[in-house]
Amino acid sequence: MPRSLWNGTISVGVIAVPVKLYTAVESKTVRFREVHLEDGAKIEHRRFCAKEEKEVPYDDVVKGFEVGKGKFVVLEKDEIAAAAGDPAHVIDVESFVETTAIDPVFYAKTYYLGAGAKGGDAYRLLHDALERTGRAGLGRFTFHNREYLAAIRPLDGVLGLHTMHFADEVVPGEEIELAEPSKAPTKQEVEMAGKLVGSLEESFSPGKRKDRYRKAVLDMIERKAAGKKPKAPREQPPEESPDLMAALEASLQGGK
Amino acid sequence: MPRPLWAGSLSFGLVNVPVALFSAVRDQGLHFHELHEPDGARIEQKRFCAEEDTEVSLEEIGHAYDLDDGKSVIVLDEELAEVAPRRTRTIDIEAFVPLDEIDPLFFDHPYFLAPTGEADGPRRAYQLLLKAMEESGRVALGRFVMRTKEYLVTIGPRDDRLALTTMRFADEVRETKGIDTGGKKPAKAQLDQAVALIDALSADWDPSEWKDEFRGRLEDVIERKRKGRTIEAPEARDEPEPVPDLMAALEESLAKAKRGGKKQGRGGRAKARA
Repeated sequence: MPRSLWNGTISVGVIAVPVKLYTAVESKTVRFREVHLEDGAKIEHRRFCAKEEKEVPYDDVVKGFEVGKGKFVVLEKDEIAAAAGDPAHVIDVESFVETTAIDPVFYAKTYYLGAGAKGGDAYRLLHDALERTGRAGLGRFTFHNREYLAAIRPLDGVLGLHTMHFADEVVPGEEIELAEPSKAPTKQEVEMAGKLVGSLEESFSPGKRKDRYRKAVLDMIERKAAGKKPKAPREQPPEESPDLMAALEASLQGGK
Repeated sequence: MPRPLWAGSLSFGLVNVPVALFSAVRDQGLHFHELHEPDGARIEQKRFCAEEDTEVSLEEIGHAYDLDDGKSVIVLDEELAEVAPRRTRTIDIEAFVPLDEIDPLFFDHPYFLAPTGEADGPRRAYQLLLKAMEESGRVALGRFVMRTKEYLVTIGPRDDRLALTTMRFADEVRETKGIDTGGKKPAKAQLDQAVALIDALSADWDPSEWKDEFRGRLEDVIERKRKGRTIEAPEARDEPEPVPDLMAALEESLAKAKRGGKKQGRGGRAKARA
């Protein structure tokens, strides 16, 4: 059983659903500790005052917001907390939207919600009702000293929570300029490309594709631990294709 | 137009399209600097050897990886560089999968791809791939190398462009096994009532209705502090308690929702509490 990151309550109308928040995604990127090569000792990061060139205790460190060049407004930690929003551990669900209407580009981080100590029936009810309606609950909550917009939806038998990006954080497609081709692809070309898509069709099985880079790093570590010398793979860069139709046809023949 | 983060070519079959990569999200958060309170000077981080108590330069620092047996292996930058994937500068499409089979949980960071260069062929190939995927309801699965890391990505249509999204690997997604899924299956009458409540509180997804109030309040706090005013933290509300009678709570909530007790897409507590 994993440890919960946060305990709180989902509030819908006058219904309270006690929940526990869990990590759903954890990076498996190989992490290293910094060490001093000379003696293998731990590296510590210490804070220094840039002016006085001396180490300062953390209690003397404040957060400053730059309002002009070199001009800062200093905020105490509890003043930042004051802006964070309602400190209560409550996710206020305000509306329900069709889950499929939300472009996943809005999802920032994903968490799982488990039922809290009391009110397991309310959890089950919310889960089942969301599943039946195909909707996600939208609401705000304060977590780690900032307020988030969250979407709550059924996910793999439990409730999942996504923290969301706000509209002005999502880059609209129009901002990415596209150079138009002199003429649109012909019907024949689209058909041919459709066949190419078809020839490489498969269903999504997440476990099929592994993190090769992670494996390479771990293998290197293992070789090193065993006192062997690492070696590296090589690949050739492809060339640009001049004739679209010919390339599509050649790909199709190769793909079959 | 944002700055491209990467440039290379998108390769499917024998077709290669030179493309540039742009982030599809941008950070709008306010950023703070650490300052030394007595003199307001900036704080710098320095690396110290914990044993010798002396400052060390980056060249003197290695990366240690702790093995299961309690020993650790020290890895040098050169050794990491040796296993880093070759900068092939291509995004290789390996397969096309139905978009609706991928749970958004697997998506990590979203980007856009745009064709580069003056040649007409690649621009057409870009449109061709876009069209073919729009028609098939499938997205491409591929891999590419950015900086020193190899990413698994999906490429699919969004806003009339090709969007690239980096993906989580299957073993980075935790199992839901062991998570408490609550009580027993709800009775039909209860479930019907809950569905009716959800329907009553239904709205269209309109992202522009939800503003980042935290950012707004923080700007407000900075402004007031600048003018020398004091800022007080809000008091925490009591957490709502689970009710003993779910059915009665459902009915009360439904009646409230029908009276329009909640405005749709209001976007939450609008007043700054700070």
